[in-house]
Amino acid sequence: MSLRDVLSPFTAWKHVIDTPVTIQDPFNREAADRYRGFHQNDMDKCIGCGSCEEICQNDAIDMVPVEGQNAGPGDSGLRPMIDYGRCCWCALCVDVCMTGSLTMSNEYTWVDSDPDAFRFIPGVDGKSWDLEPKGYQREDTRRLTGTTRAPMGEMEPEARIGNFDEIVDGFTREQAVIEADRCVECGLCVATCPAHMDIPDYISKVRDGDYEGGLQILYETNPFSQACGRICTHKCETTCAAMHEGDAIAIRWLKRDITDNVPRERYFDLIQKPDVPETGQKIAVIGAGPAGLTTAYDLARKGHKVVVFEALDKPGGMMRYGIPEYRLPYDVLDHEISVIESMGVEIRCNMRVGHEISMQQLEKAYDAVVLSIGLHQGRSTRVPGSEKAEAAIDLLRRITAGEEVPVPEQVAVIGGGNVAMDIARSMARLQKVKYDKVGVTITALEELDRFLADAEEIKEAQEEGCVIYPARGPQEITLEGENVTGLRTWKVKAIFDDEGRFAPKYDEADEMVHPAQMVVEAIGQMSDISLLGAELTEKLEWNRGRIMIDADGQTSEAWLWAAGDVTSGPDVIHAVADGHRVARSVGKMLATKREKLQ
Amino acid sequence: MRELLYRLKDRYHLGTPTFQRDDLTFVTVKRDELRAILTELRDVEGFTHLTFLTAVDWIEEGLFQLTYMINNREANQSLGLRVMLTREDEPGATTGDTIHDLWPTAATYQRELNEMFGINFPGSPRVDEEFILEGWTDLPPYRRDFDTLAYSQQTYRERPGRGRSDPKAHMQETLYPDYPKPREAAHAHKEEAK
Repeated sequence: MSLRDVLSPFTAWKHVIDTPVTIQDPFNREAADRYRGFHQNDMDKCIGCGSCEEICQNDAIDMVPVEGQNAGPGDSGLRPMIDYGRCCWCALCVDVCMTGSLTMSNEYTWVDSDPDAFRFIPGVDGKSWDLEPKGYQREDTRRLTGTTRAPMGEMEPEARIGNFDEIVDGFTREQAVIEADRCVECGLCVATCPAHMDIPDYISKVRDGDYEGGLQILYETNPFSQACGRICTHKCETTCAAMHEGDAIAIRWLKRDITDNVPRERYFDLIQKPDVPETGQKIAVIGAGPAGLTTAYDLARKGHKVVVFEALDKPGGMMRYGIPEYRLPYDVLDHEISVIESMGVEIRCNMRVGHEISMQQLEKAYDAVVLSIGLHQGRSTRVPGSEKAEAAIDLLRRITAGEEVPVPEQVAVIGGGNVAMDIARSMARLQKVKYDKVGVTITALEELDRFLADAEEIKEAQEEGCVIYPARGPQEITLEGENVTGLRTWKVKAIFDDEGRFAPKYDEADEMVHPAQMVVEAIGQMSDISLLGAELTEKLEWNRGRIMIDADGQTSEAWLWAAGDVTSGPDVIHAVADGHRVARSVGKMLATKREKLQ
Repeated sequence: MRELLYRLKDRYHLGTPTFQRDDLTFVTVKRDELRAILTELRDVEGFTHLTFLTAVDWIEEGLFQLTYMINNREANQSLGLRVMLTREDEPGATTGDTIHDLWPTAATYQRELNEMFGINFPGSPRVDEEFILEGWTDLPPYRRDFDTLAYSQQTYRERPGRGRSDPKAHMQETLYPDYPKPREAAHAHKEEAK
């Protein structure tokens, strides 16, 4: 035995005055800072998407309704209830949480004789650890779902400005899979979509590469999925769970991905008319836009005979005559409508009701009439000189129809909505072809961030050389003899008065004259209701200039329904939703009528 | 650490090292060179401590990865040696080479890996005895093809009173109960067609 061995036990005595590392009270010791203990859930942040329930490998989480949490846009109103008899504290639920609302405190000791006490709703059933800052939170660098939207290829401004070719490429297969993979399939978006399309289901079909199955899902709720895959206002993306800590899923582009990846001839095999008996009942639809054609599609599939009367050359309504070809190519629309026609829908073009045929004749010859005439008349600013202005909607129609439209070197557009962008960008293209340069000015009452147009429309218009002057109110279209020379505007100080009524106030000292040989008004549209005739107009009930309808689109006349922009608006997907509603209502009436006859 | 790996590289096949931290490095080695490298590191290079032995299931690649974490206390350096094994679907069919004679504690880790991953280490003491799972009859639970959710659903009963709502369906019922349900209509037609 060496001396060292004898002495070493005593060297430990030198630590006798150190602070002890052992814990004095082992029964009340706190867990480590990042210990995974009982959950906390921030009610202000939780959206009830149920991703925690979905990922739980122990089936410990139930999404349940909670008093005081109501379903609304982007929030299901449900909240996670956790059964701690099953929870293994793995924290996958915290890692997947789309908003970061769900966290874990470092509290892990709790004694109770009632086993049901260990089933509770964190954040709702108050607990002592609710405000405990320590515990487990998801590290932001580590996410289970991708936060960045897959890039979408589109034509560069220089390449697209001289033509009307489609701008957006559509996803490649790789991009589509990346994007579809980011979706947690919570379905919060479904409530926001006016037509309640089954978004998570069709996104999962994209992920699986089952495009034909995906197309069938699309057609269950929307016979205009190709159009909507391109030009939908995609409000669904504003309530996407992924937007809270990243980019919203590109739902619209994934829809387009499905429609682009099914060969056109296959549509007719996949979307077939159900095998139902013919009812012998007939419906007239006035206007071959998205509302009218959706109504026609639904009713034809129920065995009714549907005839659509279209005033213009070709069917499609605003999708053809309002939306420019670079956003929605005509061949796509033609194909989409041909699928609807394959249900047995008959479309009669160049049939303007009120000219070629009257409402009275339709009422007599058909069991029901659906009015879906859209908003094809431009509103005017009525400022001095406005009688010389062009209406945006009229110009767009003429461009689509291939008519010669005047293309001056300088154009001023009044309006900040999508129609204003559409006409500005269309005129810019025509100018580029004619003069090899763009001279378009856009003025609107709103500040740029309050424009009604989609942000991407504004961005693309600017990229193409359109110059935007926000917060400017039109005062006069200046003339020299018969010719337009420009647009005089004042700076807008306020658009609405204290009571929220439209009453723009201007700074008269801040005046500009935008030189232009053409001024286009794009400040809104109205319906041309002259087709109704005096007698019917008198008989119908009205609501602030619009035909009054019930929740199902029926007017005060038992045989007449109205759908689409003429009653609601303002876009294709609302029109589709209207079409479904009206078709069901008409179908009910027809069924009642059949029963009576039997 | 770079210098050490540079020396070893002369005689052994080493993969590209990952310098995770100043005191932590990972490198992949060949299975038949593992024992020689471990012995040399332990006896010559001062890596006297086996911190742990664990595995990763790379099911898509058909591989199991073993990670031998060894530590040199003097130099305050940890080195993780990775060995890739062909992954056999049958539990126990994948075998690793026991190192219990180099570090007796390895026997415990190897027994655990046999139980949790189904990676056997023939010759390792008590390797076939149960470790923490008593009466386990399912797939080794750390395997990626083990379905944790299905197992817990089959094995454990739910507490009475549990129930759940689907967010999509709940919103449909509360926010738009009157909107036409086209899918139901479409399915009804299919039923009629049959």
